[in-house]
Amino acid sequence: MTFWLRLNMFFRSFFLQAGWNYVKYQNLGFALVMMPFLRRLYQQDPDALPTVLNRYLEAFNTHPVMASFCFGAMARMEENIAQAKSVTEYKEQVAEWSGARRGLSITAASIGDRLFWGSLKPLTLLLAIFIWMLLGVKFFETPEQETVSWLYGFTAGAVAFFVYNTIALFVRWQGIKISYEANDSSCFGLTRFDWNRTIYNAKRIGIFFAVGLILFGVYRFFDGIRVDINFLARAVLVLFFVMISFITRRLRIPNVYLYIAAVITFNIVCFF
Amino acid sequence: MTLSLILLCILAALLELDTTYAFQLLLSRPIIAGPLFGWLTGDMAAGVQVGIFAELLFADVSPLGGIIPPSGVVASVISIILYAQGIDLYFGFFLGVIGAVLYSFFDALLRKTRFDWLIFLEKRIGRKPTDIKRIIAVALLLSFLMTFVFISVFAWGSSQLMFAVYPYISPKAHFAFRLAYLAVPWIGLAALIPAFRLKTR
Repeated sequence: MTFWLRLNMFFRSFFLQAGWNYVKYQNLGFALVMMPFLRRLYQQDPDALPTVLNRYLEAFNTHPVMASFCFGAMARMEENIAQAKSVTEYKEQVAEWSGARRGLSITAASIGDRLFWGSLKPLTLLLAIFIWMLLGVKFFETPEQETVSWLYGFTAGAVAFFVYNTIALFVRWQGIKISYEANDSSCFGLTRFDWNRTIYNAKRIGIFFAVGLILFGVYRFFDGIRVDINFLARAVLVLFFVMISFITRRLRIPNVYLYIAAVITFNIVCFF
Repeated sequence: MTLSLILLCILAALLELDTTYAFQLLLSRPIIAGPLFGWLTGDMAAGVQVGIFAELLFADVSPLGGIIPPSGVVASVISIILYAQGIDLYFGFFLGVIGAVLYSFFDALLRKTRFDWLIFLEKRIGRKPTDIKRIIAVALLLSFLMTFVFISVFAWGSSQLMFAVYPYISPKAHFAFRLAYLAVPWIGLAALIPAFRLKTR
């Protein structure tokens, strides 16, 4: 696989989910990403391309960043299919390709969901909030009298953006190369990284950040407030919501419904 | 709605594409989109606050499999549009959250119906493989247009609703909405701690 072909697939991988649907998921995007490779592979036999493409238009669903491991592996296996010397060998290679595609997409999705959605995204959110707090941006009160410069406003989001994308773009770019050069004994290059350790470390940093942020937030929130009935009411309210949030999390009730319930409950209480 | 607010809706619809359909660089995160909308409407503090609150509130739902979390971009832009028109931020945020939840149902509907015309287009790819780029471009354009229409209609509708009922809203209701709004970061932060449970080892 040449550098330019890899670059083409890399750029196309940003549109993997463009045709996302509930029946075949990312199939259109998958075909779009693999198209330059398939066109080059079958340039001597362009009539074969529509038939080959039909395989790529079957249901496909994985994590958008980790999908790069599927692209490289599928490209390598497609070369084996194209080099099949007999119909039997061709059928065997296609069956192997199909099984690997299914298995690899599930494994990659599992790793990607835990690493990117479950660890890195919340971690960069906490990092951004921490930066805003250090910059003195007060967001625990309604911002009627608050002014924030554009530099302060964008800094934290920009840091979160660069931290997340440095890792995501590295995995996207390297994933194509590693999986193309690897074989099924190394799970198409997935074993090259210790994903579990990475996720574990990210979560460890995350819990440190989350607890630190809550303590820092509590300190900032109550800083300069006199201990009176208002202070106690606010403290009780905060504790109440923290407790309720833990409970709703256990019951798998999304936060958004807790907020809507809070709006309704407060309105009823205030009305009476 | 003024021209500047329509331009804001166009920007929001473009950013919303980043959530699922194109790039996934997380430019559509509320902590990035919120300050951007706030800066464009002249109140960065409101943008930052809405961004943080929306992201914390929706942080417990991830786009795993076919799950569609409420849209942070929709929540941010609706909140900021209403705030820019003089509605209190706690009312704007509430309507923004409702808009974001409704948008997730709307997006699920779009994804269901998209297959009906994609199956027709897939046959075309079978005949002429090079058409795939055009089909992807059409899919993106349609997603952008539908999102733009949703955001514009919801922003316009909620603005009209708020202008109609605003004079009749009692101080008690103001207090209740404000209290619930200020509870949002605590709800979000409390839900983030279990998200970092060390269960991988």
